[in-house]
Amino acid sequence: MSVGHISRAFETAGTPTVIIQSNVYRGRVVVMKPARVVYTKHLMGRPMSAPFDTERQTHVLREALKMLETATEPETSVILPDAYRIAPK
Amino acid sequence: MPGETFKEYVDSFSYGSRTDLFFKWLKGAAEADAEDYIQSLLQELGEVSDTGDLSKFFEMTYEAQLAANSPPGEDPRWKYEDAPFTPLSKPLSEMRVGLITSSGHYVEGEPHAPPELSDYTQEEGTKHIGEYGRAKPFLSAVPIDLPQEKLGVHQPGYDIRAAQKDRNTVMPIDRMKEMADQGVIGEFASMAYSFIGLTSQMRLTREDAPQWAERVKDEGWEAAVLVPV
Repeated sequence: MSVGHISRAFETAGTPTVIIQSNVYRGRVVVMKPARVVYTKHLMGRPMSAPFDTERQTHVLREALKMLETATEPETSVILPDAYRIAPK
Repeated sequence: MPGETFKEYVDSFSYGSRTDLFFKWLKGAAEADAEDYIQSLLQELGEVSDTGDLSKFFEMTYEAQLAANSPPGEDPRWKYEDAPFTPLSKPLSEMRVGLITSSGHYVEGEPHAPPELSDYTQEEGTKHIGEYGRAKPFLSAVPIDLPQEKLGVHQPGYDIRAAQKDRNTVMPIDRMKEMADQGVIGEFASMAYSFIGLTSQMRLTREDAPQWAERVKDEGWEAAVLVPV
């Protein structure tokens, strides 16, 4: 919720944003109409990944940056399909 | 505890006698869902004891968290009709991109909370969440070259254990630096920001968020990655 306010303020001020958010909060986020959101199927408190899962972190961030660059209209979002996992060894 | 109902038991994980922020969402779950989750959790632990495979535990916990955070109806306070949107003005590979998270990271040795909350440890903070909800938003500047061991985390709104182990779970500084090194973004802004997301939402939306928007523009940010916890 708090970052939704940041997104709206930044977009209003002319700075494009993308939010990376756990999908468990999607219901609270969509009503705030943020510009761009990448939802992950990750647990609360771990929106990017489990600790040290650099592969997943990179994938999520790349998807977010891709959305930042390609979105042409507000309320653009995607739910990434990958389930939460511990970092591969 | 004697005489305690099941509802009182699961509610106690959310800022109660059994505070455990990993499971605080149980308070928002329907009672039948909470019953099913705990029974399934115990069954799964039996399986994990033999297989070591945690994937089912992650899946059932994710689904239960999703259901608990999806109550019928909407919060009318933060429902908006308009949708502000700024398109990119040039390729991302030519832009300075910044990072903000609500993780509560701060630089060790610097204040970790607003003055009126600065005496609280993380654990003590969980006993005073109402004060956080009324407090002025607290923003920490984090130099992107700061090593992980120089970072602290203070945010009683969520289970910070993953963030303590690896900042990139909620504040992907190291991954952003790699994106800059690879030319995906033109530059990673030298100062990232983290704030305590458990804060006065009214003050945040009316006062601080617009000020922060101007602050990062002054620092040359042309786009921002935002990560709520």
